[in-house]
Amino acid sequence: MAGAAIVFLFLVVAVFANILAPYDYKLQSRNEPSSPRSSVRFVGSDGSLRLRPFIYAREISDPLRMTYREIEAQEFPLGLFVSGERSKLLSFFETDVHLFGVIDRSESAPRIRLLGTDALGRDIFSRLVKAIQFSLLVSPLGALLACLIGIFVGIVSGYASRSVDTLIMGVTDAMLSLPTLILILAARAAFPLELPPLSAGILMVSIFALAGWAEMARLTRGLVLSAKDREYVLAAKATGVSGPRILLRHILPNISRPLITQATLIVPAFLIAETALSFLGVGLQEPEPSLGNLLSAASELTLLRERPIELLSPAICIFLFVIGVRLLADGTKQGSVTKKTL
Amino acid sequence: MFQNIASFTRRNLIPHVLRQILRKSVQGILMVLVVSAVTFALLSAAGGDAFSALRENPQVSEETIEELRRVYGLDRPIPIRFFNWLSAAATGDLGRSITFRVPVSGLIAGRFVNTFYLAAAAILFALFIAVFLSFLSVRIRSRAVQNGIDALVLVFVSVPRILLALLVLMLTALLAGTTARISAGSPQMFLLTAIALGLPLAGIFLGQFHEQLTGAMSEDFVQLARAKGLGEWTVIRRHASRAALVPLITLFGLSIGALLGGSVIVETILGWPGIGSLMVSAVRGRDVPLVMGIVLFSSLAVWLGNLVAEILQIANDRRLDASNNR
Repeated sequence: MAGAAIVFLFLVVAVFANILAPYDYKLQSRNEPSSPRSSVRFVGSDGSLRLRPFIYAREISDPLRMTYREIEAQEFPLGLFVSGERSKLLSFFETDVHLFGVIDRSESAPRIRLLGTDALGRDIFSRLVKAIQFSLLVSPLGALLACLIGIFVGIVSGYASRSVDTLIMGVTDAMLSLPTLILILAARAAFPLELPPLSAGILMVSIFALAGWAEMARLTRGLVLSAKDREYVLAAKATGVSGPRILLRHILPNISRPLITQATLIVPAFLIAETALSFLGVGLQEPEPSLGNLLSAASELTLLRERPIELLSPAICIFLFVIGVRLLADGTKQGSVTKKTL
Repeated sequence: MFQNIASFTRRNLIPHVLRQILRKSVQGILMVLVVSAVTFALLSAAGGDAFSALRENPQVSEETIEELRRVYGLDRPIPIRFFNWLSAAATGDLGRSITFRVPVSGLIAGRFVNTFYLAAAAILFALFIAVFLSFLSVRIRSRAVQNGIDALVLVFVSVPRILLALLVLMLTALLAGTTARISAGSPQMFLLTAIALGLPLAGIFLGQFHEQLTGAMSEDFVQLARAKGLGEWTVIRRHASRAALVPLITLFGLSIGALLGGSVIVETILGWPGIGSLMVSAVRGRDVPLVMGIVLFSSLAVWLGNLVAEILQIANDRRLDASNNR
C-alpha cells in the first residue's frame, strides 16, 4: 500500500511537473546565487499570527561565504494556484498556473525557494521536479524495451532445441554476471560525449535496453518451460489451436504476473544507471536538469556541509522511489525483497 | 580447501570437479571473447574516436589526424583490428592508453589491485553484517527482530550507492577542521569507502542468508542436532548455517560484477584510484584501448569470481554429504 502511494506520488510529480515547479528550471537570478531555502513563516515580526504563510525578501550579507539576511520590512504572502510563467503541461495544454508561489509577481518581490538556488541562481526545487520528470520518462521506457527484448529471447529459448537453449542461456548468464554499469559506460564511450537532450535520452534508453534484458529472458524462459506442459496448453493443442496463438492467448496471459513484477524491479536499476551517467557528465547535460547532474553540485564540500538536505535531495528522491517500487513489487508478489539488482 | 576435496577421491570427486571447472573455463573464455568482440565492434563502428575532437582545432590539419589514426591503427577494417588487438592481448599487450600515454596493461594492473582491496573489504563487510545479524535473529527469535531485519534489508538494497558515497563525503566535510579529521588515503577513509560500496550487497546477503537460516532452523536435521543435546549456538553454526550457505555462495559469485559496476560511482566520488574511476576517465577521453582493456579485465574478474564460487559450492556440498555418511 505504502509502495503504491510513493510510486503514485512520483508519477503525479512527473506528470504535473510544470504546475508543481514554481519557476522555470532554466531561469537564472543573478542576485541570489547559492541561496539557502526560504523560511516560510506564519508569525510576523510583531509576534502575531498570520492567516497566510509568508516569506521575507532576502539580500546577500556576506558575498564571500554566500550568506543571506532577511529583510523584515515587508511580508510577501504565499498562495495556492497562483499565476506565473506560461508553460506547456505535457507539451499540450498551455497554462500559467503554478501550485504554489508568491502572490506578488512584481520584480521587487522575492521568489520562494523550497530548496534554495544553485550557483547560477536557478531554483533547485523546480529543477528537481523537472529532473524527476525526465528520469521517470527515460527509465520506464528503457525498462519496457529491455522487457520486450528479454521476453522475446526467453520465449525463443524456451521453445528452441536443447543446444540453442543452452547457447542462449549461456549468453544470458554471462550478461547477468557482467558489471552492467561498466558495459553501459563502454557503450556510451562509442558516442560523442556532449549530446542534445533528445539524443541523450534516446541513446540512454537504447543502451539500457541492450544491457538489461538478461534477467527478464531468464525468468520468461523458466516460466514458458513450466507452462508448456501444463494441461491447459495441452488441451489447447489437442483442439488444434496454432502454436503462436497458444503462446499469445494461453501461455503469456498466465505468466504475465511474475513478468510484470520483474519489469517493475528493472525500473529502479535503470533510474540509478541514468543518475550515474548524468552525474559523471555523460548522460543528460546542463542546462537540462537530471537527478544525476543535480547531484554533481554535492561534490563541493563547503556547500555540502552547510546545505546537505538541499544538495542531497535528488539522491533522497531516488532512495524513496526505489523503496516505493520494491514495496509495490513485494505487494504484487509475496516474496523476498532481495531479488538481485545491480 | 583442496585437501578437503582430495580426501574424497574414493567418490570420483576429482574428475568431477575438474570437469566442472573445465566446463566453467570454456564458458568463461567464450564469454570474455564475445564481450570483447561486441564492445570492440560498437566502439569502432559508432564513428568518432579519440581524435575526432581534434577536427575542431584549426591548428591540426586533416593529414595529421590521418597520420595519428594510422599510427594507432585506426584506419584498418574492424575485424582485422579486433584480431590484432586480440592476439596482442593474449601476450599481455593491450596497447597504449591515448589519454594517459602509458601501456594499458600496467595502468589497469595497478588500479585493479586497489579495487580488489576495496571489493574484498566490501564483501567481508557484507558477509559480516549478514551472518552476524542472521545469527542474532535466529538466536533471539522474536517477531520484532525479524521485522527489524526485513526493514534493514529493504533500506540496504534500496539505498543508491551515489547517496552513500555522498553521505561519506559529507561526513568527511563535517569532520574537517576537527581532530577526528578523515583525510584521503587514511584507513578510516578506506573503511568508509568499502562500506559505501558494500552496504547494498550487505542487504542482498542479509536478506538471502536470514531467510535460508530461519528456514533451516525448522528442518529435520536441525531438530535432530538439537535432540542430540547440542547447544543452540553449535546447532546454528555447524548445522543450520552450512545449509543456508549454498545460495550465499552463488550470490558471492554474482556480486563481483555488481561491485565492479558500483565501484564506478563510489570510487569517483570518494577519490579512490581504482578501476571504476579509471573507467570514467577512459570514457571521458574516449580512450578506446583503455575502455577495451577495462572491459576485458572486468569480464575476466567476473569469470574468476564465478569459478571460485563454483569451487566453494562443491567444497561446501561435499562436506555436507560426508558429514551425513559419518
